Amino acid sequence: MKRILKLLFLPILSIALFAYTYTNQIQPKLGLDLQGGISVILTAEEGTDKELIEQAVEIMRTRIAAFGDVQEPEISISGENSVLVQLPGITDQEKALEAVGTTGLLTFRPVLDSSLNLGYSPALEVIPNPDDPDNPTVNAPEGVDEITGITIDDDPDKISYLLSLRDGYPVIYELGPAELTGSDIQDALAVYPQNEWIVQLVLKDDSAQKFTDLTKKLASFVGEQRKLAIVLDSQVISAPGIALDVNPNTGITGGTAAISMGNADQGESANNLAVILRYGALPVSFERSSIQKVSATLGENTLNLGLQAGLVGLIIVSFFLLIYYRLNGLVAILGLSSFGALFYSVIALLGEFQGYTLTLAGIAGVIVSIGLTADSYIVIFEKLKDELKVGRSFNFATEKAVKEAWNTILVADFVSIIASVILYILAVGPIRGFALTLGVATLFDLFYTRLFIGNAVPTLGFISDNPRFYYPLTKKDIADV
Amino acid sequence: MFKRLFLGTTNVDFQKLGSRFYKIFIIEFILFITIILSSLFGIFTLNLSVDFTGGTTYQLSTTYTDNDINDVLNNDILQVSRYQTFENSNTIIFRAIESSQEIETDLLNYLSDKFNVATSEIDFQRVGPTFGQDITEKGIRALVIFITIIALLISIRYEYKYAFIALVALLHDLLLTFSIYIVIGLEITPSTVIALLTILGYSLYDTVILFDKLKDSQRTFKIGSLNKEVLNKTFNEVLMRSINTSLTSAIPIISIIFIGNYLGIEGNLSDFAIPLLIGIISGTYSSIFVTVPFLSKIIKTN
Repeated sequence: MKRILKLLFLPILSIALFAYTYTNQIQPKLGLDLQGGISVILTAEEGTDKELIEQAVEIMRTRIAAFGDVQEPEISISGENSVLVQLPGITDQEKALEAVGTTGLLTFRPVLDSSLNLGYSPALEVIPNPDDPDNPTVNAPEGVDEITGITIDDDPDKISYLLSLRDGYPVIYELGPAELTGSDIQDALAVYPQNEWIVQLVLKDDSAQKFTDLTKKLASFVGEQRKLAIVLDSQVISAPGIALDVNPNTGITGGTAAISMGNADQGESANNLAVILRYGALPVSFERSSIQKVSATLGENTLNLGLQAGLVGLIIVSFFLLIYYRLNGLVAILGLSSFGALFYSVIALLGEFQGYTLTLAGIAGVIVSIGLTADSYIVIFEKLKDELKVGRSFNFATEKAVKEAWNTILVADFVSIIASVILYILAVGPIRGFALTLGVATLFDLFYTRLFIGNAVPTLGFISDNPRFYYPLTKKDIADV
Repeated sequence: MFKRLFLGTTNVDFQKLGSRFYKIFIIEFILFITIILSSLFGIFTLNLSVDFTGGTTYQLSTTYTDNDINDVLNNDILQVSRYQTFENSNTIIFRAIESSQEIETDLLNYLSDKFNVATSEIDFQRVGPTFGQDITEKGIRALVIFITIIALLISIRYEYKYAFIALVALLHDLLLTFSIYIVIGLEITPSTVIALLTILGYSLYDTVILFDKLKDSQRTFKIGSLNKEVLNKTFNEVLMRSINTSLTSAIPIISIIFIGNYLGIEGNLSDFAIPLLIGIISGTYSSIFVTVPFLSKIIKTN
């Protein structure tokens, strides 16, 4: 009786779970490669602080939410310095990449000079030509465009000449190296206290002193050098001057600052600036190390291929086992079907509650696990055959075969599980999905071997203990051995 | 014959065959090394996918003529280095070098106009050269840790000589698969790397089941060390299980290849299935033809 309960436990569990997922219409959550969409891997420089990457991920999430119409976007840290962005269902690549944002490095840089003083870029050295006053000789430093006088490849750690278009007319600023970055900002808000829009800037505690020192230095200057430029992606967003009443001996203290934005546009520019200060910049710059776009058609085709191959494989394996192992084959078919139902339900439930997505590599893992699971049956059946062959009674032979086979399967499955765990911990991306399905399948296989096969085979003795119903063994074969 | 094979009552003297198997093994090994070395000197080329070399791919389904393909190869937007077409489907894959996002999009639009396919139906992939390197590095790290743990495990449960044999069998399967890839010039993708890692698992799984059977036979004969009788009894009995297991493992994988071919999908799943099939066959082969000669040597030294 106890044996029957053990034997039925897994089949009943699998039917119950399958019925639950079916009635609640829970289906496996499909990965990008099976339903179409865009996947981007962004990689930061090696050795980048993990905290900065986490911050960047948060900012990207906010941006995607603002971008709208992306269903279930997934942005996660993968490995040590990479971010995996998955946008299912999106096929417009331009739009998607815009959403995750290009690198967008936000920096604060002191203004050294600007075209407001000279009328042209401070980078250019103009030598008047006495013979032809309309065509003076122009010299530009290295890395600066000779016509516009703008730095071509901006490096925030060096002096650069950058353009600003925000005031309605172009201004080229000569900027010192970056003193603060987007990661120094705690918060930024656009407010309208009295007759004027203000962006209220709050710095992080650790960065407040840096800001005070910087403003001290700037407040000792007059004119353009009193300005602090806010630069996003090599474009000057704004270059507010330090107010004239700031004392050069104390600077701006308390970790807060207010940027006056005037009253011309009902706060639009103030709001824009606040958003850029808050989210606009990722604290680290990323390289797009991989972009993959899968059309919905290819995704669907691949999914169907996987399902059909899995099903056909399962059917052929079942027939093979039935013909080969007769009554035992029936046990194998019941076990494999129940295994399939349980596995499907668990993947669907993991998708629903844990966010696990089934990818192509995951399906490959499932198909591979059919072979591994079938092998457990084969090991037990072969062992039983060896025992019957030497003339042991059916009952004794089954008990012995089940016990000995369990040890073998335990060791072999243990190897598989170790492989899966190591792969899961050490590998990235697709390999993880594969390792997870393979590991889960192997674990299930152990349960099935112990509870289902281990009890089903001895129970068969009630139906018949004649070896001929199990193997092509005749009395003569048994006597022969 | 089949019946005896099935009953495990064949009388093959594996101990005697050991030295013959050993010669085959040595020849195989020399062959693998030659193939791998010759690929270094450029006689065979290792066909690495964009995931390892960096670049872009554009995959689309359309009707096309040779002239169309020539036009694409000679376009002045982006250098298209290779293309791939398939017998049973009208899929074309173009591979191009990396460039700026604008230029890559220009080529996408160009292909869309040229073949009259919506841009959203063209599968685009772009990979920086570091991605494949990353995957390979992590794969190798996983491999080293895995092999160390498995070698320890086998040494504890059986004996250290067995661990050595298991690793030789493993190396054999990986080298065989790799050599076939080099000779046929099949493309190596990240799926291939996953498949190689799976082969590892299969190969060890097979070998461990065999060692367990050996231990079992030793118990039956009530002896502490391996001898000729144990070896022959074990291998004669285990033949059928090896064949059956590789059949049941191979059937789902063969169905991936066949159904994929029938549906005209030459995608990642097939990339995965082909090396796996080679690996399973090799794993079954090595669990007998590679382990027997080494086990025979152990018997001799005993």
